[in-house]
Amino acid sequence: MRYLFFIAAVLAAGFLTSSPYKLQLLTFIGINTLLALGLNMLMGYTGQISLGHAAFYGLGAYTSGVLTVHYHWSPWLGLAAAIVLAVAAAFFIALPLLQLSGFYLGMGTLGFGMIMFVVFRQMSLTGGDSGLVGIPGLFIGPLSLDSPRNYLFFVWAVAIISIFLCERLIHSRIGRALRAIHDSERAASSMGIDTGKLKVHIFVLSAVLAAVAGFLYAHLVSFISPSSFDFLVSVRMVTMVVIGGMASIWGSLLGAAVLTVLPETLTVFSEYEMIVYGLVLIVIMILLPQGLFRGVLDIYERAGSKAGKASARSQG
Amino acid sequence: MNALEARQEKPLPVLRVEAVCKSFGGIQALNDVTFDVPAGSIFSLIGPNGAGKTTLLNLVTGSFPADSGQVVFRETMLNGRKAHERVALGIARTFQNIELFGSMSVLENVLVGRHVKTRCGFLGAMARLPRTIGEEREARSRAMELLDFVGLRDAASQRSTDLPFGWQRFLEIARALATGPRILLLDEPASGLNAVETSSLAELLEKIRKSGVTLLLVEHDMSLVMKVSDRVLVLNHGMKLAEGTPCEVQANEAVIAAYLGRDKAGPRC
Repeated sequence: MRYLFFIAAVLAAGFLTSSPYKLQLLTFIGINTLLALGLNMLMGYTGQISLGHAAFYGLGAYTSGVLTVHYHWSPWLGLAAAIVLAVAAAFFIALPLLQLSGFYLGMGTLGFGMIMFVVFRQMSLTGGDSGLVGIPGLFIGPLSLDSPRNYLFFVWAVAIISIFLCERLIHSRIGRALRAIHDSERAASSMGIDTGKLKVHIFVLSAVLAAVAGFLYAHLVSFISPSSFDFLVSVRMVTMVVIGGMASIWGSLLGAAVLTVLPETLTVFSEYEMIVYGLVLIVIMILLPQGLFRGVLDIYERAGSKAGKASARSQG
Repeated sequence: MNALEARQEKPLPVLRVEAVCKSFGGIQALNDVTFDVPAGSIFSLIGPNGAGKTTLLNLVTGSFPADSGQVVFRETMLNGRKAHERVALGIARTFQNIELFGSMSVLENVLVGRHVKTRCGFLGAMARLPRTIGEEREARSRAMELLDFVGLRDAASQRSTDLPFGWQRFLEIARALATGPRILLLDEPASGLNAVETSSLAELLEKIRKSGVTLLLVEHDMSLVMKVSDRVLVLNHGMKLAEGTPCEVQANEAVIAAYLGRDKAGPRC
């Protein structure tokens, strides 16, 4: 039911919007939703922070970009390669890193993000600082996704399927185990949960979602450069999760939307843009520490119960 | 006491601790401790603070390895096995400072306990196969049974940390039982409970034992220990001071001097 409403909203937004700029903005929200969703599975649900997730975003973008531009692979094979590489990198990095916790894990993932950033900048294949140009658009059989509207629908189809699958995962044995690790790792392992293994697996899942988002981004904008995957992008991903709501799948969507639209609308403040941006985030966090999704829902429920009490009193 | 002695003569102990030593830095927390926990018994570990009781519990559950000696569960050597593997073998525990999953409901806490008894992985959860659905339904009905067993059925949908303190202890026991243990290790289950709650805890422990689960208890509440235990082991400064039935231990001069004191001493049986 919720999904039907969601799909209808996407279709309506797609068909009612004609400006290519707005269509692209909506597409970016979809891509960012994937990023926030993946990070939320790791951070919000499992309680493991990552300050280097832009590395996987970049890995997805560059893998498919390099393979299609330099080696003329089909983008779909590029996607497969991006996923395989993201899985491998995430496994490799998670095994030592997830032994850490709290700040140390944050610092470790931060370091990984920095290393990948340097790799994107220094390799000749990636075009270094000047970036990678001429990444082809996508086709599904004969259907071109070149038009902004088609690409929007494609990105949102991927996002909705991902949300659907992640929601199922959360409401399962695995999802409970993830939340158990968040609440108390000691107690989780006393329940027979292999916490080390599960943390690695969820890290890999969130890396794959970021890589898919990177793939979608690369083939949308056709030009990528290292600055799209630097430390600030990792921080923005964390902000999306926190603003939208930790451990809230629909919050990821909201956080992604706010952090995509806000910078665009704030350009009217010109040079004060960053200040206003920061202020808005601070105010949201102070007023709604649970994140936008939970916070707004709480206000709604409180208003509902107050109204309920008032009517009960007037009847009594 | 005859029935009790007959039980102790059962051949295979469920848990065997042999010559276990453990030190932290320069402190010898456990020094050459050996004992058997007979199957189907309630076995208590007592002793002054710092005697090594919780350390012993942590060695059995696998929180850290022993320096030397071995722990054998039924016929399986536990040395080198990880904590989560020991749960699958049938060793469950509760914590001295209650460690519930605070973001979850009472029912969900118990459902986490069913983790080792269910199989579905990432793909199974996403595909929601018929097998996964069946497994989930079964886990829920078992969890509700266990909530019933400890008397928390009506609180199933409440947030776990909203429960009164005593109920949280009972919930932790239900959660541990959900793993389907053969032995349940309880770390000071009566601490923080009032008299009424302590007596219902005693009833619950008896009920658990009757259901076929062996109990290893670390406890300071002597009247509870003496009432429910089949055997009692006294630790002092990491060493075994005495072991025997509650009567024997209470009459033991060394135990009286080191731990119980005169007023609690003396054979009452």
